[in-house]
Amino acid sequence: MGTLAGLLTIVQMGSLAYIIHAAIVLERPVDQLTGWFGLLLLALALRAVSQGVQSRFMAHGSRTVRDNARRQLLAAWHKAGPLRLLDESAATLSREWLDQVEALHGYFARYLPQIQLAVLIPLAILVTVIGLDWLAALFLLVAAPLIPLFMALVGMGAESLQRRHFQTMGRLSGQFLDRVRGLTTLQLFNQTGPAADILQARSDDFRRITMKTLRVAFLSSAVLEFFASVSIAVIAMYIGFGLLGYIDFGPASELTLFSGLFILLLAPEFFQPLRQLAQHYHDRAAALGAAELIVMRLSDSEPTRPQTENTAHEEAIASPDVIALNHAGVIFSDGRVGLNDVSMTIDKGERLALTGPSGGGKSTLLHLLAGFMPATSGSVAVFGRRPGDQIIGWLGQSPYIAHGTWKDQLRLTAPHASTGEMKEALAFVGLTGTLASRPQGLDSPISEAGIGLSGGQARRLSLARLFLSPAELILMDEPTAGLDADTEKLLLASLKTFADQGRTLVFATHHESLLALAERKITLRAGRCVHE
Amino acid sequence: MNELLPWLRLIMKRRGRLAAGAALMALTVIAGLGLLALSGWFITASAAAGLLMAAGVRVAFDVYVPGGGIRFFALTRTLARYGERVYNHNTVLTLLADLRIRLFRGLASRPAASHASRRGSDWLSRLTSDLDNLDTLYLRLMAPTGLALLLSGGLVAMVAWVYSGLVALAAGLMLGAALVVATFVVYHQTATLSRRRVGKLERVRGLSIEHLEAQAELKAAGTDKTNQMRLLDLAENLSGDQAKMDQRIGWCGSGSSLLMHTAAVASLWFGLTLVESGQVSGPIVAALPLALLGLNELYSVLPDTFGRLGGTISSATRLNRDMKGSPDEGLTGQYGSKPQAAIKWQNASFGYPGLPPIITNWSFHVHTAERVGIVGRSGTGKSSLADMAAGLVQPTSGHCWLGGKPGEQPHWQAWLEHVSYLTQTTRLLEDTLRNNLLIGAPEATDAELWHVLEAVCLTELVLTLPQKLDTWLGAYGRQVSGGEARRIALARVLVKPAKLVILDEPFTGLDSHTRDRVRTRISRRLEGKTLVAFAHSTEALPTVDKMIEI
Repeated sequence: MGTLAGLLTIVQMGSLAYIIHAAIVLERPVDQLTGWFGLLLLALALRAVSQGVQSRFMAHGSRTVRDNARRQLLAAWHKAGPLRLLDESAATLSREWLDQVEALHGYFARYLPQIQLAVLIPLAILVTVIGLDWLAALFLLVAAPLIPLFMALVGMGAESLQRRHFQTMGRLSGQFLDRVRGLTTLQLFNQTGPAADILQARSDDFRRITMKTLRVAFLSSAVLEFFASVSIAVIAMYIGFGLLGYIDFGPASELTLFSGLFILLLAPEFFQPLRQLAQHYHDRAAALGAAELIVMRLSDSEPTRPQTENTAHEEAIASPDVIALNHAGVIFSDGRVGLNDVSMTIDKGERLALTGPSGGGKSTLLHLLAGFMPATSGSVAVFGRRPGDQIIGWLGQSPYIAHGTWKDQLRLTAPHASTGEMKEALAFVGLTGTLASRPQGLDSPISEAGIGLSGGQARRLSLARLFLSPAELILMDEPTAGLDADTEKLLLASLKTFADQGRTLVFATHHESLLALAERKITLRAGRCVHE
Repeated sequence: MNELLPWLRLIMKRRGRLAAGAALMALTVIAGLGLLALSGWFITASAAAGLLMAAGVRVAFDVYVPGGGIRFFALTRTLARYGERVYNHNTVLTLLADLRIRLFRGLASRPAASHASRRGSDWLSRLTSDLDNLDTLYLRLMAPTGLALLLSGGLVAMVAWVYSGLVALAAGLMLGAALVVATFVVYHQTATLSRRRVGKLERVRGLSIEHLEAQAELKAAGTDKTNQMRLLDLAENLSGDQAKMDQRIGWCGSGSSLLMHTAAVASLWFGLTLVESGQVSGPIVAALPLALLGLNELYSVLPDTFGRLGGTISSATRLNRDMKGSPDEGLTGQYGSKPQAAIKWQNASFGYPGLPPIITNWSFHVHTAERVGIVGRSGTGKSSLADMAAGLVQPTSGHCWLGGKPGEQPHWQAWLEHVSYLTQTTRLLEDTLRNNLLIGAPEATDAELWHVLEAVCLTELVLTLPQKLDTWLGAYGRQVSGGEARRIALARVLVKPAKLVILDEPFTGLDSHTRDRVRTRISRRLEGKTLVAFAHSTEALPTVDKMIEI
């Protein structure tokens, strides 16, 4: 479609040149030129239509690409697991998923189609100009190939700069958001003024870095502009002198006002696709920068499990009724040892407590059992399957409370639960009274950051999630931290219920009454089991 | 449109920069326009002269002036273009920083805790994209639209001068129509979609952050796949809208370009009739359509920008709303004298709109240099009382007198000068450990920082870190465990030289052994100060003189 529009431009310029030629050189009256005017208008109308259709194709093409990129990133998140995702702030990742993928739009909707146009249209124009005057065509021919050459030279530097620009931008907006997020803290210490100054200083740094990128990046368009302007100037002079009869070699003597004007009108059109290409070149650089981050994320999320895959699988088949850890170890990417050669079996229905100093490996072990992270050595099997392949009940230190209604909270982990089941679960955790005080019942909003729900109530709500879950294994990380006596009692009662249901409970805790509930205690220190 | 006004005013503060940028832009377009028009005139004029010469007539035709003009325009255009792009992008980045700082200061002028109900993870990440929408206001919207109007007007005036008023009217009408299609029609066609798109984007962003933050719960429950599908559906719906908008913008753009070219054709038609009647010379008639074609450069950028204007306006609306917050009723000015470190609640009640009250008729007096522990079950409003004591929220009825003198209601920021408050939630900044502590006391020396770290039993840990105090606390401060983060926050509160200390659940996440050690050590630091501590049970309280239960 773009090519069609280009060809119609040639027709348009041809008829425009002819009209001027006919009127001024041949001195035809305007009335006789109506046909040519008609042709001119027809070319214009057709060109507009083909441009419209072209934009339609471009929009659809880029849409498909973006949808695909998002799907792949989501799959990558899924693979990476919750623990590794927490290395990055959720805001950064979500920005990548939404905004950086959006940056691909320019590349696929504008840059890629423009590459074809940048070859086809100038070629068509060149052929036309050769027919009119080969010497003028030679000017264009000499100028054209130089342009991509220069642009490529300039572009090479721009690309790596652009990548850095993207990273700085991400970090900068991350810092801005972090300060806004910590606004209450800053206000409490009367530090909002200094924080604003820091933000200002960092924005200025960012501007300087970016300007360095842009100064180079814009050179490529300046080169283009230079060639385009100079070529028009040279051609105009050549044609002018030729028409005056000052040039007596080559085809100059055959120039007419028609051919001369036609060539002049086509000269900017010759460079136009290239010029647009240069403008969209930034789209390309932006897209490549974004794509690189995306690809990095995709490859980054490949789980780091070197040799254990096979043994884990064999182990899995061997022991369907127990949780088995066989010389399991976890080493984090920064070299810290999370777990060191841990071997143990947990029977179905057992109540196991993990104790030990903070940083001793309790959380790591829980994450390993939940399948949130792979073992870097040894093997783990949960009821005959790889960890993470079955539904697990999870109660973390800070349970996630979504922005939404009570129903949304429970549906997050139990999408098919009925209203009755939900009410029953809430009754188990003693929230019936609280719910009754809300005007819209289960559809009442619970906003984030605990407004409308105290810390203990939030914990009860997450406990209700476990009542709705069919999971055979329940993992808990410090479930009593920060709880008042009542909620604590309720939690203990709930755990007893879970145990009576035959579920397996593994919890990290220091709490006396929770420890009393356990059938077995394991102390973890520096990633090792100290005693059982 | 009114929503944009405060932001436009902010942008206009850089008037000098904006004017210089616009002048460079104008120079670029005029040079391009001039290059084409002069070349067209030159060729046509030389063709006419050539014909005469071939017929044997001697004519004096000066080739040097137009030749020089053509070279001048060619060079000017190149330089102006480069200068304009560099200069204007610098302007845009300057404006972006201006906007951010302005927004930050706007948000900081109200207690963030008071409009907490409206905030969420989506709110935060949305800020950035809303700001990004505003930063294009000048470069993409104001400057090109203004220039298009100015240059089109200039050209029409020239037409009126060279040809006749009638031709100018025709050309002006068509140019005007082209401008309207490229701006208002595009805006009209896309405003709803674009506004809806920003809303949808906000929703998808919120959901994607939820999807990430709830990953542990979702994955454990095996529901992350369904959640993922829902997210994808919404994202696809979003890109569908985007595609629809792109198409409409594309059609309007080609329509506008058609009108503009038609204006060139019309001016040629009328021009030629005037040539026939001998009123105007041929070469000038050739130059004019070419000059009009040169306007295309300006017109072609407009549809894209106006296609996004709807979204820009709703971004501005939301930012304005975010900055408003609740009014500081009756809170004005500073303390007359230094306030006492005392608090008096009198029949105070508190609740959020639409929810049952959390606190009803609460009366209590904290005297100077008294250490009070307040114990209560969850849901009894401890954190709200703490917020009230810090002056962040006001009782919905009754009074909470801060500073000892009933009747005196200073500005919340003035009261905070004298208070050090540990909130229930731990929030560390993404910065170094040192900077996180220095927030409490910007003037503190390293020795003082180490001293306070000793009080919260963190010295050993920090000594094992390779970068000691300069260790960076990563995203959300998550490289430290919950208990460690809590103790850093506690240290930050203790280092502030305030006479009143409010602690809300100070020992969350600490094992009983560490808790006992920290309790002993901090009670020494708290001697002589007024302390109000809130906790769910007595063992979670620091050392106090007096304890009450609610």
